[in-house]
Amino acid sequence: MNGYELDCRDLSVSPGGSPVLRELSLTISAGSRTALVGPSGAGKTTLLRAISGLQPIETGAILLGGEPIHQRAVHRRAIAVVFQEPRLLPHLDVQDNVALALRAAGVGRSERRRLAGAQLEEVGLGGRAKQRVQGLSGGEQQRVALARALCADPRLLLLDEPLAALDPNRRAALRRVIVELQQRRRLTTVIVTHDHSEAAELGQQIALMLEGRIVQHDEPRALFERPVSAAVARFFGVANLIPEGSDTLAIRPEHVRLSRDGGLRGTVVEAVYAGDHVRVAIDSDGQRLHAHVAPPDAPRAGEQVGVILPDEHLWRLPSGRSGDAAEVADG
Amino acid sequence: MAERLSRPAAGVLAALVAVPLLALVVRAFADEWRAPALVPQQFGLRGVEVAFSGSSGEAFGNSLVVALAAAALALLLAWPAARVLGERRLRHPAPVFLLLAMPLLVPSYAVGTGLTEWFIRLDLDGTLPALVAGHLTFVLPYVILVLLSGFGPRLTALEEVAQVNGLSPLRRMLWVTLPAAAPTVGAAALIGFLVSWSDYGTSLAVGGGRPMLPVVLLPFVGADPQVAATLALLFLAPAVAVLALAVRAGRMPL
Repeated sequence: MNGYELDCRDLSVSPGGSPVLRELSLTISAGSRTALVGPSGAGKTTLLRAISGLQPIETGAILLGGEPIHQRAVHRRAIAVVFQEPRLLPHLDVQDNVALALRAAGVGRSERRRLAGAQLEEVGLGGRAKQRVQGLSGGEQQRVALARALCADPRLLLLDEPLAALDPNRRAALRRVIVELQQRRRLTTVIVTHDHSEAAELGQQIALMLEGRIVQHDEPRALFERPVSAAVARFFGVANLIPEGSDTLAIRPEHVRLSRDGGLRGTVVEAVYAGDHVRVAIDSDGQRLHAHVAPPDAPRAGEQVGVILPDEHLWRLPSGRSGDAAEVADG
Repeated sequence: MAERLSRPAAGVLAALVAVPLLALVVRAFADEWRAPALVPQQFGLRGVEVAFSGSSGEAFGNSLVVALAAAALALLLAWPAARVLGERRLRHPAPVFLLLAMPLLVPSYAVGTGLTEWFIRLDLDGTLPALVAGHLTFVLPYVILVLLSGFGPRLTALEEVAQVNGLSPLRRMLWVTLPAAAPTVGAAALIGFLVSWSDYGTSLAVGGGRPMLPVVLLPFVGADPQVAATLALLFLAPAVAVLALAVRAGRMPL
């Protein structure tokens, strides 16, 4: 089973009059797994709803496997969606929830229950087929929702923050299930999350969305270490943006080193213990710099330190792209 | 602990409902019950004979047809209204709610009298359709309000699941919307039926002499308690049956 390429071209959507998607273009290669990230209100859910057809688009086109689908009815698009909340049908048991799309496709009862059972095995819920959905935990319900989406044998799988309501352990477990199943099926998959480290784990590619547009779409490392703009840098935690002439240099705080002597001189203005590291803020000639330091080596507030910015980790932002820092003021 | 307490509590509640009903049954079959005796001197079927000698049979039939038709029509009309209101698709819903509630603010006899004038002009007075239309004026707001409680983002969310799982609009309605909304629809139908079934004012005003159960029952209250008790039991029967059906529907989870 090979995936289909998803191609969104110049999508504009303004539900209620205010623009949410602004001529957004995004291409996702067949059989790949892409994490769609962005701050709240960036339009991630709206994009997923537009692709699935739940949100009508005003302009643009959506192609799946080369075929335009944006004028097709939702139930004819063969796109499965896992929503943030499991949305299980309360009047059906687990297996009939999973087999919903098979029933719509006219598959006979015994065959669809067999297929649903096999799908439940895949998400780690074998033996729960006949259970009522109300008796399941939040994580189990979300697995049923995932099984239901996969059982539909879709051309494209969209997951809208499927882990948001789960605790950290269940998140990690379900993350593994999603990645394994996607790899096995090579199903083109888009996963929305607002957590950039989760995006790095889930996506072979990450697409960052800001104010209704995709601002960078690349492999995870590129977004963390080679951001195309200050806004992208800030969203991915590149806390140091240092002006150099008309350019801006960017460096991640975990790559900044502190020394007693040497480097740029500065005063520690803040040192916050964060478990596995200490977040240190340094004022160097009016320039605020940030470093993550191992707790035993961390300086105290008020101390004079030297700041070393290793050349191999310094990244020069493409010129003309540093002025959009305000885009992600809360990023 | 809560479960241990709930059983006796349910028993007490059931007794509170059942004991007055039992008194009604005894009263209906007490041909002779003079004070200060605690139990009737003679049991018999005089109440049943008198109750059915008049127009009560016809009244029972009329009330049943009108209540069923009014509840069914109200459900059909209320469904789209409740969906629009429940999904907050109106920018200013308050005036709509006020308009909906207005028939409930006026005594039903007054509404009925106003409607009668029009029914006479249209040559509909005293007909069953006129009674159904009259009852609809105040059955509809109740049905809409009950349906509203089950309609909203949750139902829409389930319908979206149906769509992305390939269900056509008709299948979506049959397999997802109706089963998910069944308890609410059951409750709304029950309320609609009971409001119409127990109406006195509109039936009297619009009925043009056509017998309806509450109208037939009232003169016996005080004048002949045995016949009144028999008619009251007759009056209760479909209400209990509809309640049982609604409870059954309500057991299906939303």
